[in-house]
Amino acid sequence: MSWFEHKINAGEAMQVGDMEITPLARVMKIQLPGKHVGLIWNRPQAVVVKTPDGQESTLPVIDVTRVTVWAILGAGVLGALIIGVLLRNK
Amino acid sequence: MDEEMTETPLGDSGLETFQDTMEEFLATADVGVVYGEPIEHGDTVIIPTAEVLCGLAFGVGSGGGTSTDEKQDQPAQGFGGGGGGGGRVLSRPVAVVVASPEGVRVEPVVDITKIALAGLTALGFMVGMMMRMSQHKTAFPEIEE
Repeated sequence: MSWFEHKINAGEAMQVGDMEITPLARVMKIQLPGKHVGLIWNRPQAVVVKTPDGQESTLPVIDVTRVTVWAILGAGVLGALIIGVLLRNK
Repeated sequence: MDEEMTETPLGDSGLETFQDTMEEFLATADVGVVYGEPIEHGDTVIIPTAEVLCGLAFGVGSGGGTSTDEKQDQPAQGFGGGGGGGGRVLSRPVAVVVASPEGVRVEPVVDITKIALAGLTALGFMVGMMMRMSQHKTAFPEIEE
């Protein structure tokens, strides 16, 4: 078994009305060899919806909070760098 | 005493505890952990989703003992062993999947507090940089020729 594993797991399909919903989850697993240390990060990836006429569509599950937080922090660091450069050249 | 020394430093119950803990830890990687039980409300079914982060670390150790070869007048002395560990599971809601007769949609769960804290941190970065740069300018007086 490798110390790092990253995969997308599919769960059991659920029947909701005439639609079939299959959940997908993204799992990152770290287990250091020879050490009793482990980390598992499991998060929803998408849901696959299958209609009775056989059409399949994938709806991604986006973590809006994480995306927004990283965008704000990135903008903060970038803004600080720009302010630093502008004030230095003044 | 000799019989005790030949025993495994960790008892069976200790090993079982570690085994159970490892099994529970590995079960965190299952899809069922991330997607909750569907909640039915009329024609609509709601499936909550969450992100799960699980960390675990543990260690085991064993001691030693003296033999009667070194000190023949004294009896052989004990053996020690033990273990310990710790872990943390963090869970956070990410979105809800809403399935209704009209179709399926994914509604995000937005944590306003976290976003506000990130905004304040970013603002702090920028204000800190501005203050630092303005202090640099005033620290050295201009040299007049």
